Amino acid sequence: MTFISIEFLIFFTAVVFMYYLIPHRFRWMLLLVASYSFYASLSGYFVLLLLISTVFSYFTGIAIEKQETKKQKKRVMLAGICVLLFFLGWFKYFNFVNDSIRALSGYMGWHYALPYQELILPLAISFYTFQAVSYLVDISRGKQKAERHFGYFSIYFAFFPQLVAGPIERAKKLLPQFKVEQTLQVENISYGMKRIAWGFFKKTLIADRLAPIVASVYDSPDPTGSQIVLATILFSIQLYADFSALSDIAIGCARMLGIRLTENFKQPHFAVSIADFWSRWHITLSTWLRDYIFVPLAKGKKKRSEIYLVIIITFLISGIWHGAAWSFVLWGLIHGIYRVFGDHTKHTRAKMAAFTRLDRLPALHTWMKIAVTFLLVCFSRVFFRSGSVADAFHHAKLFLTPSAWNPAGLIQALELFSLLDLVIFSFFFIIVQLFHYIERKNTSTWSWLSQRPAFTRYAVYILIVLSVLVFGASGRGFVYGGF
Amino acid sequence: MKNIEKYRNAFMDALELEEDEVSEDLALGETSEWDSLGHMILISTMEDVFDVSLDSEWMSEFDSYKSGMALLDRLGVDFVNE
Repeated sequence: MTFISIEFLIFFTAVVFMYYLIPHRFRWMLLLVASYSFYASLSGYFVLLLLISTVFSYFTGIAIEKQETKKQKKRVMLAGICVLLFFLGWFKYFNFVNDSIRALSGYMGWHYALPYQELILPLAISFYTFQAVSYLVDISRGKQKAERHFGYFSIYFAFFPQLVAGPIERAKKLLPQFKVEQTLQVENISYGMKRIAWGFFKKTLIADRLAPIVASVYDSPDPTGSQIVLATILFSIQLYADFSALSDIAIGCARMLGIRLTENFKQPHFAVSIADFWSRWHITLSTWLRDYIFVPLAKGKKKRSEIYLVIIITFLISGIWHGAAWSFVLWGLIHGIYRVFGDHTKHTRAKMAAFTRLDRLPALHTWMKIAVTFLLVCFSRVFFRSGSVADAFHHAKLFLTPSAWNPAGLIQALELFSLLDLVIFSFFFIIVQLFHYIERKNTSTWSWLSQRPAFTRYAVYILIVLSVLVFGASGRGFVYGGF
Repeated sequence: MKNIEKYRNAFMDALELEEDEVSEDLALGETSEWDSLGHMILISTMEDVFDVSLDSEWMSEFDSYKSGMALLDRLGVDFVNE
């Protein structure tokens, strides 16, 4: 039962009805049963692992709180994190490490006999492990009280709207919301439904329509440079539509239950720098990495060069979190280098802008920065999308070949689309851009829309629903659902 | 040296500012020197100079010259009656 399915909509509708029908004191049970049922439908074998991780984090949290000194708290917290990371490491990174050692042994002429192990990655393990780590660290820092109600704690760990792919929430924000009696509010139901519909729109009309086109190039043994350029740009659009749709559906579902989740995206492809990009893309992961990796490692550093090293380490961790493959490590490294290079050259770039008088044309300057940032992000995604390091370098070389950017070649590469697909994609892509444009001019497109006449509002809602029903392509999982 | 002088010097050392560039109007993100990375260096310098520990919530609170003084004052750094 994935988010994009009739089964999920029926399941979720039933949950919402029951949630508001039963007294508040029983709601945690409903949410818990719903969350575990949802998880079991997706990753049945690993319900037990989810339960073990929950029980372990629950008791570790209490154990940390019972310690008297900061040092003791820290020791228990680190032991707890090691166990959680062991689970993650075993299922997600065992074969990565095993394969890497085997490759190194082969190169060095050593004997290494441990074969490849058939391990299935438990769904959402990267997400719930990060939530658990933040919970334990926050208790150890005295910012979070250990939750004593096992039911509420289990929902924090497995809350079905955000279990599969975030947003990665902090206990401090989520737990109190479960405990407060949520009353049925039309505004929450209406907003939630709109966000869910918008998520379906982006997923089925943008992401899933682009996915086979991108795959046809990246899976091809001999793509042309222009095809790689076009497919990579399309992949960037696909990835954003796919992942932001997942967040939209999660936020919408939670809102219908009266729970507010953290926004995960703020139009990342309009970022003016790599630093800005990471404050707009997968925001809850970026802030997690900032608070639990970057800041602790950067504390006490008084030289930019030392902080640059911490940035590189943080991005390498981000890379390996995304996938157990060297191509993801390289992707993280590229972003680390971008970030360091951007900081190191900021004065020079400001001087260049002044010298060329570009700074006197702020709109043009901003759009140039947006374009350069987007292309840098696209280049890094060659590594994100390629199946292996060798493929990634081959595709990166093609991406950087000047002839690949020849307009005639790019136009020819559009033949990857059928004419009908191109028209359909362009139409819905323009609608998404229009939505973003309104968002940039106002605080929220949904608030803006709510102030329009009823005819306009309902015309937009009907357009969204009918478009999904008539033109929506589906049947594919979410990219970030695999992490 | 008085605490206020130590405070000003910490800004100059951490953010590589000239003396006349350190004013009460300084704020995080409003100069290219006091960006997110400069902020980490500034926090480390303040921790060293005043022997305090600033956790991540306080780091966010320290977003201007004035708010930094108010925060350190709460942590026992006396800028008035020293």
